[in-house]
Amino acid sequence: MSNAINRASWNVHWKMTESAGLMIYLANYKGRRILWDASLPYVTIDHQVESLTLDEGDNQGHGPFWVPLGAGTQAGPVRVDDFRGGFELAVDFAAGPFAYTQLWRFHSDGRLAPWLTIHGPGVHDAHTYHPHWRFDFDLDGAPGDALERFEDGRWERVGEEGWFPFTGEGDEGGAAWRQIDFGSGASLNIRPHHWEDAELYAIRYHDGEWPPTSPHSESGGQTFPAAYIGNEPLDDKDVTLWYVAHVHYDLAFPFTSGPWIRVDGF
Amino acid sequence: MARAKRSAPARKGGGAKKTAKAAAKAAKAVTKAAKAATKPTTAQKKGTGATRKAEKAKEKAKKTAVRAVARASASHARTARAAARKATRAAKPLRGSTITRRRAPAGRKNTAPGDASLFAPLTAGERADALRTLTEDKRIAPMAKVGRYRVISAEPMTVKPPEPLSGRRLARVVIYDYSGDRCVEACVDLDGNAVAHLRTSRAQPMLCREEEAAAVAIAQADDRVKAELSLSDEPLLAMHYWSDRDTDLAYSRRSAAVLFGRPGERPSLIAVVDLLDGHVTEVTPAASW
Repeated sequence: MSNAINRASWNVHWKMTESAGLMIYLANYKGRRILWDASLPYVTIDHQVESLTLDEGDNQGHGPFWVPLGAGTQAGPVRVDDFRGGFELAVDFAAGPFAYTQLWRFHSDGRLAPWLTIHGPGVHDAHTYHPHWRFDFDLDGAPGDALERFEDGRWERVGEEGWFPFTGEGDEGGAAWRQIDFGSGASLNIRPHHWEDAELYAIRYHDGEWPPTSPHSESGGQTFPAAYIGNEPLDDKDVTLWYVAHVHYDLAFPFTSGPWIRVDGF
Repeated sequence: MARAKRSAPARKGGGAKKTAKAAAKAAKAVTKAAKAATKPTTAQKKGTGATRKAEKAKEKAKKTAVRAVARASASHARTARAAARKATRAAKPLRGSTITRRRAPAGRKNTAPGDASLFAPLTAGERADALRTLTEDKRIAPMAKVGRYRVISAEPMTVKPPEPLSGRRLARVVIYDYSGDRCVEACVDLDGNAVAHLRTSRAQPMLCREEEAAAVAIAQADDRVKAELSLSDEPLLAMHYWSDRDTDLAYSRRSAAVLFGRPGERPSLIAVVDLLDGHVTEVTPAASW
């Protein structure tokens, strides 16, 4: 199967990674560059203590664990299917009591859906999934981009690297954040899933700050991508975005997590 | 020929009148003040003395025209500046509501298509090349000499233009050094046969398959684990784990959580394995994990 797809106004490449799921790279929409690469570096899983004890020290629960989604946990071939108005890539992963389906959906109207269906069942009921997507969008080229978030009824420019949780506010299309390109005036609008406590990390692109091979940066320190965040300006720079979801397990599983992304201005 | 015919009268002395007229016409077109330039025409009719007067009038008309043009330019500039200020004021309350286009400096914008082949998986030879180049680097010679390390991953990587390494075939190699309890991360330039980046840190990279297998074997051999398992329980999965409690060994040491249970069901037991020393540090029923 060729790893280049040219359909529905999109031209994308894909590959299976060792730990970051199904990666999309060099993706163009209507002949213009949208992203350099995008992947799912990891899904961490936290567990909560279900019963309280008198000893407060025992109530902290365990730290997170995770298993790479990649060739080692792939549970079937990558499927490329057409649907009305676009096409999608899908692949299943299985690791013990954890099962996932990673999806990349491309719509001819410029929408892009990087999704993850989480099947469970997990170790026990009280656990939370934290899928981390990393997007290196290059709107019409790498530099000259910026990030805005929708706040107090209008779009506000983000000055520096940082963490931007979803507050429940969005524009008329539901987008809470958008990456914009000054040269072309194009934008990528990100609409979070309303039921997954999404947050966005915005980091200036640096050669050397590649996707980490683990969320663990150092003992007691911040995990990635938070460990990458400094005070660097983002305005008119090359920006890398991390979309992190927090999905608590419940009886309604499977749950499909992930944002809607819409290309505007092309 | 037509041009010669028109210039000939000027050489004969009648040119002053026509030049003054032309100057007056030009000035008139710019501003009303240039109307004064029409006076030399009358003076010319009165003879040679009038010609001098006409020349003076011409000079005056020229100066008037220049001043008029200067006034007009200044006025235009003021109007433009005022319009710009107005536009700025109008745009300010809508900060961020519309995407402002900025002209990128020449040559700054990079819309290069990128080379898809640079994303292709490493061949067996490229992987061997990357590992050999890295382990021969003097900076990590002690690690290579002791030989107590695991190669976690070796994957292709790409660097975007305009970074110096863009367009080159690169391998990203991640190693966990057990002797130094550290992570070694390198970018190897396969085109140049050199280590382009090298970084060591206390980060914990993912477990490689050999570490996962080692964790399972250590857990299976542990007496406490054996005592807790039922006959149908088997290892389901080994996951990279670290504790949030600073009193746990797994807080700072490279650890794995090995899940035991029946295939297709929830796990029944979890054993935490310290991979540095190769022993089990915690055994917990899965239900209370």
